[in-house]
Amino acid sequence: MSNLLPSANALRVLAAYGAAVLLFVIGNWVHPGFASFGSVTSILLVASFVGLVAAGQCFVILIGGIDLSVPWVLNAAAILLVTASLGQDSRAIYAVAVTLGMGALAGMANGIGVVWFGVPAVVMTLAMNGIIEGLALGLSGGMTCSACASYAPPVIAAAVHDVWLGIPAALWLWLVVIAVVSFVLSLTRFGRTTYAIGNNARAAYLAGINVNLTTVALYALSGLFSAMAGILLVGFGGQASLGMGTPYLFQSIAAVVIGGVSILGGRGSYLGAAAGAASLTALVSVLLALNMPDYGRSIIYGVVILVLLLLYGREQRE
Amino acid sequence: MPSDLAIAPQATHRRPRAAHVLGQNAGLILAALILLASIIGFAAMFWLEQDRLPGNFEITSTVNNTMPLAVVAIGQSIVVLTRGIDLSVGGVIDLTNALAAIWLTGGVLHMIGVSIAIVLIGAAAGLLNGLLVGLGRLQPIVVTLATLSIFQGLAIRVLPQPGGAVPPGYTDLLVNPNQPTALIFLLIAILGWMALRRSHLGVGIFAIGNDESSAVALGVNAMRTKIAAYMIGGALYAVAGLFLAANATAGDATTGDGYTLTSIVAVVLGGVNLFGGRGSAVGAICGAFITTMIVNILFFAHINPLYQSFYEGLFLVIAVVFGALIGRLVRGRR
Repeated sequence: MSNLLPSANALRVLAAYGAAVLLFVIGNWVHPGFASFGSVTSILLVASFVGLVAAGQCFVILIGGIDLSVPWVLNAAAILLVTASLGQDSRAIYAVAVTLGMGALAGMANGIGVVWFGVPAVVMTLAMNGIIEGLALGLSGGMTCSACASYAPPVIAAAVHDVWLGIPAALWLWLVVIAVVSFVLSLTRFGRTTYAIGNNARAAYLAGINVNLTTVALYALSGLFSAMAGILLVGFGGQASLGMGTPYLFQSIAAVVIGGVSILGGRGSYLGAAAGAASLTALVSVLLALNMPDYGRSIIYGVVILVLLLLYGREQRE
Repeated sequence: MPSDLAIAPQATHRRPRAAHVLGQNAGLILAALILLASIIGFAAMFWLEQDRLPGNFEITSTVNNTMPLAVVAIGQSIVVLTRGIDLSVGGVIDLTNALAAIWLTGGVLHMIGVSIAIVLIGAAAGLLNGLLVGLGRLQPIVVTLATLSIFQGLAIRVLPQPGGAVPPGYTDLLVNPNQPTALIFLLIAILGWMALRRSHLGVGIFAIGNDESSAVALGVNAMRTKIAAYMIGGALYAVAGLFLAANATAGDATTGDGYTLTSIVAVVLGGVNLFGGRGSAVGAICGAFITTMIVNILFFAHINPLYQSFYEGLFLVIAVVFGALIGRLVRGRR
């Protein structure tokens, strides 16, 4: 802390923010008005969904894990929200509670599988994705149930779209999440524990940290954040649909990695991952503004991630 | 072989030879047992439904449907053995499948040439992954996630709508609908695996999967080994793309997307250790067939197909948990 030069970690976070700003500048150059306040807030609103999922993904990646169950936890959350609320404000609180509970429960099951049954995180969360997919499809009859066509309760739509002080409510929520998650990770016992496990789980255990409980809690948080993103997405789009969670797996991992979090764990911050989410969404928006066809977007997306990784995501040679 | 030393007097503390072999191949043996159990289960259900055992038609269609996954699983397991993982599987299959649909037309020599070219393109895709992982020192999971996106984009550029027509002769050669002749290709793959296992490259793949720094200290070129592993993987995904084209007699630029995850499932069910250094292609093939058999069993058990992924996911967790448990019992506590 006494060092005046920014650390390598801080440089990575700065690079991620630099990339986001650069993309907005490029966007404004190819499409005047791209960097206007209204345009920026609407792009960041879309980024907030990725950002929320990335918060959970960041937690588990920090301990060297990964959460591949994001797509269907998010999708099931969206379906559960509309079917539990039936589009009525009076049922909104109940529906949100049930949905968040489902997400946390799925994440907790992931954590228990990883910790107590020794299943590799990739396999456990992959299997959980399938389990939730099967349940969501089966219980909703493949989205043919009468309740499945319900709209999001107006309260929840308002909680995404309403503008306070010029900024959409969901964006405020994301800002709060950024602040809280950053605070928890850097200034609390829980956060230090997380980094300790990510750096060396055995050493953390020997230092008296309850590694198992922390791991389960982190996976549960990941499920919770996926569910939260699902709720907001329904509020944003109005209805739930099948496959709506699929893009978020790739994007959440990419955001976390672009933000300078080591995929091996123990290094990085959510502040960087949030910048990663913003730059990814800005990139997609620039390409959309250029009328780039689907395939071109997909290719450039991959290339940009590779370039960013080559710039600062490389492992140190030991 | 060190196993001969096991009976030497100075090594009496070693386990008996049978236990040693069992411990070394616990994953493979378990995969074979699960496969056997699932085949028996399927045959029993089939018999209850149809009053006869599965015949030539059922065997042929099972083999033909499993071929792409079996080939992909071999490629994925070679990458996983180096302590890597390849998520670009789906993209490579998409791309090669699309190219096959466009390029394959009549003429035997032409088709052979095109097939070889497509496999080489798959290897080139693997080369890109390998260079980024080996030379670029990037993490496999993020590299292949990014290249997945690139290959998927290229595939849609090549074949925007499903279509094309694969000549019937090509289908008959690769996935003969009348006889399970595709098993010959699996036999070739197993022979190739056995040769690889004993080659310099194969030893290197297992060595860096077990302990990269020790392997490097002993003279294994980690970079070259990784690049080769990803290239073999890419070539095999391309073969799977060809098999899918032959099966569907047409191409589809999204046909491979599901294979990224199912290949990992097959590899895990096949007893390949996701942390590298342990496993075999034979196990991966078993894993691929187990995956197909589960779907067949669910079908005959009249399970609502919407719940299919629920049971697959549940089965995957249970298989891995019990596999680890049995492996620990056989190998002794460590």
